[in-house]
Order: sequence, then C-alpha cells, then structure tokens
Amino acid sequence: MLPTTTQHLENHPVAEMYAEEYKAGQLSRREFLVRSTALGVSAAAAYSMIGLSPAMAGGHMVTPPMGGSLRIQMEVRAQKDPRTYDWSQLANVVRGTLEYLVESRADGSFAGVLLEGWEANEDASQYTLRVRQGVTFNNGDAFTAEDVAANFRGWCDATVEGNSMAARMGALVDPETNQAREGAIEVVDDYTVVVTFPASDITLIAGIADYPAAVQHRDLIGTNPLDHGVGTGAYRVTDYEVGVSARLEKNPDHTYWGDAYLDEIVFIDLGQDPAAWFAGAEAGEFDMTYETVGEFVDLFSAIGWTQSEVVTAATVVIRPNQNNAPYDNVMVRKAIQLAVDPQVCLDLGINGQGIVAEHHHVCPIHPEYAELPPLTVDKDAAAAMLAEAGHADHVFEIVSIDDDYRRNTTDAVAAQLRDAGMTVERTVIPGSTFWNDWTTYPFSSTNWNHRELGVIVLNLAYRSGVAWNEFGYANPEFDALLDQANGIADADGRREVMAQLQQILQEDAVTLQPYWRSLFRHYRDGVLNAEMHPKFEINVHYLGVEA
Amino acid sequence: MAFFILRRVGVMVLTALCLTFVVFFLTNLYPNLEKLAKTQGNARMTDTEVASWIDRNGYGGPMILRYGEWLGVMPGWVREDPVNGEWRGRCLERGQTPEDAPRYCGLLQGDLGFSTVSDDEVSNIIGGRLALTGVLMFWAFAVMVPSALLVGVLAGMREGSRLDRSLSTLAIGSTATPEYVSGVIFIVLLASSQAGLSPLLVEWGWLDGGTLFLGSARSAMDGPNFWNFTLPVMTIALYGMGYIARMTRASMAEVMTAQYIRTARLKGVSFRNIVLKHALRNALIAPFTVIMLQFPWLLTGVVIVETLFNYNGFGWTLVQAASNNDIELLLACSIVAVFVVLVTQLISDIGYVFLNPRIRIS
Repeated sequence: MLPTTTQHLENHPVAEMYAEEYKAGQLSRREFLVRSTALGVSAAAAYSMIGLSPAMAGGHMVTPPMGGSLRIQMEVRAQKDPRTYDWSQLANVVRGTLEYLVESRADGSFAGVLLEGWEANEDASQYTLRVRQGVTFNNGDAFTAEDVAANFRGWCDATVEGNSMAARMGALVDPETNQAREGAIEVVDDYTVVVTFPASDITLIAGIADYPAAVQHRDLIGTNPLDHGVGTGAYRVTDYEVGVSARLEKNPDHTYWGDAYLDEIVFIDLGQDPAAWFAGAEAGEFDMTYETVGEFVDLFSAIGWTQSEVVTAATVVIRPNQNNAPYDNVMVRKAIQLAVDPQVCLDLGINGQGIVAEHHHVCPIHPEYAELPPLTVDKDAAAAMLAEAGHADHVFEIVSIDDDYRRNTTDAVAAQLRDAGMTVERTVIPGSTFWNDWTTYPFSSTNWNHRELGVIVLNLAYRSGVAWNEFGYANPEFDALLDQANGIADADGRREVMAQLQQILQEDAVTLQPYWRSLFRHYRDGVLNAEMHPKFEINVHYLGVEA
Repeated sequence: MAFFILRRVGVMVLTALCLTFVVFFLTNLYPNLEKLAKTQGNARMTDTEVASWIDRNGYGGPMILRYGEWLGVMPGWVREDPVNGEWRGRCLERGQTPEDAPRYCGLLQGDLGFSTVSDDEVSNIIGGRLALTGVLMFWAFAVMVPSALLVGVLAGMREGSRLDRSLSTLAIGSTATPEYVSGVIFIVLLASSQAGLSPLLVEWGWLDGGTLFLGSARSAMDGPNFWNFTLPVMTIALYGMGYIARMTRASMAEVMTAQYIRTARLKGVSFRNIVLKHALRNALIAPFTVIMLQFPWLLTGVVIVETLFNYNGFGWTLVQAASNNDIELLLACSIVAVFVVLVTQLISDIGYVFLNPRIRIS
C-alpha cells in the first residue's frame, strides 16, 4: 500500500496560523508539516496551504511492480507484547501483519494508516479519530472503533511491566488506577473514537505513530503476535528463528485493504558486528541494510550500493547521574560541560556525520526548538571550577557500551576531560550486559532515538521520577514548565517556554549532548522505497524490487 | 569390556551432573537473572519490575530446588496471575491449568526446557544447530585428517631431511595460528572486494566482480558449496592439521628407528615398501588418539569460526546462550559438550585396543 490522501481535514484554525507563520519565515517547512498534520490536516492539504504542490506529499515514493523477494539485514529478536517493544527491529518484522493507526514519514509529517483521519479541537485536548472503513483482520473479523478503543485501553495499562506506551499516553492514564481514565476513550459509532485529555496534549499522534503502538485485535491485547498471527496487514510470518532469520510472505487467505508489492521478505540477522554485515553484503547474503554505521557508510558505498541518508534527532548523551556524588554538585557538572567541545565529539565519534548540538536535547528540526546563545568551551575555566568545587582530584569513571560510535564518542569526551586536567577512567561494557544498569551508572553514555517533538523526549527522560530518567534529574520548576509546554499548541507560544526549558537544562548542566546523528542505510540497485527513516521504520507494504 | 564401558558411562553422567550444576549456579546468580529479566522483559525496566518479573517467571525459589525442577526430580513451579487468574508454570502450556499438566518436566522426563533467547523449546533448537555443526565438522575432518597424516608421514620418514624441516615449519606455523587470526587473514586475503586477491583477479579478468570466496557462511546453512564453505572449513582444519601432523611425524620418526625397520632395510626391502607396509600401521596408533582428542578441540574451534563466519550452528548457539544468560539452553549445550568429549574418548580407548594388541582393558 502506498500512502494515499484520504479524508483528512482540509484545514484547521491553528494550522492556518502555522501556514501564516511559515509564510512569514517563522517556521521551517518541516516544522510546519509536523505541526499541521498532527492536528489532523492531511499532508496534501498542508502542502497546499503553504502554496506547494501536493504531489510532494507522497515524498519520492514510486509504485513498484508486483512480486519479487527482498532480503533485509536486521536483528531478529524474540517477539513479545508490542506494548513492551524496546527495539524498532521488533516492530519492523511484524509491521507486515500488525499495522499502526498512524505512521510518521521521513519528512516529519503524519499520515493515517488504520485511521482515515483525525481532528483535534482548538486547544488540542480532544481528538476525534476516524477509523478506516473496509479493513478486516486476517481471521475475518472487521476492524472497528472497538478495536481502536481496546488498544488505547491496553496502551494506558501502566501495570504491565515495560509498557512504554503508558508514558506516551500521558494524562490519559489515571495515576490512581494505572489504567485509562474513566470516559477518556469513547466509542461514538463503529468508525469514530473520541479521545479526551484533561488538559491539552500535543503528543498523542506522535505517540500512536511510535513503534510500540502496533494495533492488535481487540481480544488479543497484550499477546505475542507470533502466537496468533492475527493482524490487518498483507503479510504473515512463516518462519521466525531468533538471532537467525525471519520470513514473511504475502498472506493468500487475506484480502488486504491496500496494496502490497513484494511476495516475500526475509530478515537476516548477522549479529551486531558491522564488519560481519559488510562481509555478508560482499557475499551477496542480503539486499538492504537496516542501518549502516560509522566507517561502513563509505565502505558500502564503495562496493556500489545506493546510500540513503536522513538527518534526525537521534543522539548520544554522556551524562552524569545526579544521585551519585560528586555529580550532585552542579559546579562539577558545569566543569564537565565547559571542558568538552561538541565539534570534537562529532568529528571523532561519528566522522562528522551529523550536526553539533547544545546539551539540551532539543533538535533544530524539532518544531519548538528555540535558538539559545552559543556555548563556550574553556578548559582552564573548567579546571578552575572543578577545583573550586573541591573535586579537583576526583577520578571520573565514564562507562560506555562496547560498540563503534558510542564508545568513540565517549572516548572523545574522556580525552577532552583529560586535556582539562581531570583524571578520567574509561570502562567499556559489552552490549549484552550494558543495559542492565543503564539508568544508574554514575557517568555513562546512552543513545537516544529520534522523536518527532522536543517535548516528547523531555517528558520521557528529564521529568522527575520517570522510568527513563537516567540523569537522576529532579527539578520541580522544570516539570512545571514542561507541563505548561505540553499544553501549548501554538509553536511560537511553546517556543518561549521551550527556550526556558532548554536554558534550565543547560544551566543545570544535566548532560553532555554533543551532536545529532544522520542515519544511513544502503541497498542494492533495483530496491524501491527503501529510504532511511528517522525512526528506523521499515514498512514492508511499501517495499518493492525492480522487475 | 562391558564393565569398562559401563564405568565410563557412569563417569559421563557424574561429569554432566557436576558441570550442569556449576553452569546452573553461575547463570542463576542474581545479576545474571536481572540481565535475563531485562533482555526478556524490557531493556529499560526498573528494579521493582525486575524483581516481579523474576518471581513471576519462576526464577525466585531456592536454587537447589530449581535445579531439581530442571533435572525432573522436583515438581515444576506454578504461579497464578493475581490480575487475570491465568496459570503459568514450568510444565504448563499456554492456557493450561496445573491439573492438566504433568507435575514433573525435567531432563529425566526428556524435557530440555525452554530457551529464552530463541523463544522456543530447547529440543527444537539444539538438534538443527548440531546438524549444521556436524556438517562443518565432517568437512573439517575430511580435509584435516588426510592432509595431516600425509604431511606427518612425509616429514617423519626421513627425520632431519629438508622435506622434514619445511613440512614441520609449516605444521608448527599452522598450529600456532589460532582460528580467530587465520579466519580474519583468510577473509582479508580471499573474501574482500577491496583488499587481497579478489581485486587483483577482477583486474586480470579472471573474476567478474565480487570476491573469490565468500566471507560469510550464512548461505552454507541451506546448501554448502565450494565458495561459501571453504574458508570456515579451512580455518578449523588448518589449526588441527598442524598438531596432528606433528604427532604423526614424531610417531613415524620413532618407528623408523625401530629394530625391525633396520632389519627390513638390511634385507633389502625398498624404502617405499618399508614405509607403506612396515612402518605406517604402527606409526598411526598414536595419531589415532590425537585425532579423537581433536573432537573436543574442534568443539571450541567452532565457537570462534561459526561466530566469525555467521554460521548458526552449535558454537554460535553457545555464544548466544552465554551472552544472553539463556539458562536452559546453556545447560543443554553443556550436556552435549560432555557427551561429545566422553564418547570420543571412549571410542579412542576402545579403538586403541584394536590397533595395539599390547594394551588390555580390564
């Protein structure tokens, strides 16, 4: 199925305001698209509001010929309840079977998949979701509003271990019962669901486009999709051997509501070592990579594969945890920030494949990004500050995972701290054990994936007490401002609050966050619609091979 | 003889018990269980979620009891989910209640348990993986043994000759190069389109694009052929070959100085006949033991080679199980390893009796 333009809103008062802002040069095209499509305006309508051709809405996708087989190099991990997915790879395999309500495109816009469209009210506290008609599950049941509501209730169930959708549902979850708030999810008729937040929330659409939001049958919420294979997609999983491979084939017993081109997709797991992927590519074992990293970007291009690049808000943080002395002292953290030049981390960590960031985890491609004065790097001042804090002879131990770019970036930080006269030890932990304590290491590096809005990652990682707050950061003032930002639909209005939030993160020296990564993927000639996605999504329905 | 075999089987069972208990103990230390919980649940779970996961999935009880469950001498654990009333347990299929399920399900009942990393029954996994390794081992032996014996005999028949010195140097070199070194060298030389021989061959027009050999043996899992299987087989074979060749040479050299060889030579028997008819059989007794000893060695060799060439056999499975703390898969691997080692030793001892009539097993 290629994305089609469906019955979205033709316009929305706030979206029109964004269009004015875009024309006045206050919003970039990407920002405008994210904002307006999140409010329910179709991508095509959004493009036409700013006087561009709607043809651009489809991106550069082409219609592939029917048939063919494609092999994709990607990790094949043990499947589980989609709500608890912690890897995009898990979602990519089942995306042929379990579809999503909404998907996010590489250009930052949102498009309906199982929803035909959605509208937000003026203050973005109530969303009317219009369910696509004529969609059936491969067990014969019709897909209706009841399925959508059941999935929402499942996502809101915060009692399920590792259910990261509960955090994405925000205020829909009742903190008393850890379930969906009474009356928050309302089935109006067979094809309409109304979701009501107690206050405005602008992250809902981005949340249900994220990879753990795979839509299950209403009776199968919380189950492993491989156990039943029930879904709305065109494909079914025929083989699934963890760590080895997974095979999908077009389901002959199911009438899919859209178009699907390939007959067969095989995911091949060649482990975590990019050198092994390269050997596999040279041996002709697969046609397309999930992601190409580091020096292998150039190598894959050298053997004649097509390169696809996307700039993202994916990043690495090298953060002290404030629950550990001496990092509870803001002077120490500031000294660390002062000593590190982000440009050096970018050059040494990822060969300059990205852009420099400013230690506040809000990316210039985020719509609400506020520009702050440039950072200064001063190694002498850093040393002086550390001495003043009384920790001049502290031995800093920085932990990182044993891989390519995360280790190199952390090494670059360590080297710069040593240049500033600090004593630094480096600890490298293998990937199999690194994640055991990733939130509690006193000083370590962590990679963060791209997210559509700046507030999403602030909510996930910097709010006091949330599960993924690896910084040990707890600042009531910050939380209050974040609550405020979560309720402002207007980009400029929110930017004012964001400027304060970003400034607080910088002033509290919460983390080093030196750069934003570009992501790369390579594929052989003749593979179609395999462009890299900022969130690593591979929608097998779109893929094709030239006949 | 029967008593001897019986005693060996007894030793095997005892060794397997000890080894599996050690593996069980190490994999069930709390930090390892925590790792398991996070790989199975969610990589970013909190400590309380981890504790609840460990208890809910039956890793909570005393270690010795759970080892008993795995052996099948203790009844398997069952838990009722307090939220939806669903039963979970070691012996329970999805949706079963404790009444329908067997009470015991361990090794004695023929149940190897469940592999968490592969999300499947261990018995479903280990068979196919062993078969793949079997294919790799067969070809490695088919290359290694004849070439090693040939090199050893040629080197040992005239000790100190130029042929002996050069073959010995070769053998020492190959056995001194571990698999992870020779494998990488092979890949760089023969299986890279950027370095080594392949770009040269392409330039000379002997190869139209691509590489001479394949540096990934993934396709060999479906159908091994000369191009995708040469490098892994050579990497394993080369290491063992040098060792066996050295042993054969030593044995051959010793036999060549024996009285009866001198007698034969004085009688005017040709050198060729002395080697083939008089020396060879006696010289092969010692290498036979060494060859059987190579089986356990190869088992460690395949761990490296299968990981390097992405060939998903037994060695690769062992690495996966260990790095993901997959308790029951690791235990099954240990049993297989013990079985392979002791059975090959048994064969070697029995074979020795037939080859050398001076040895008696009492």
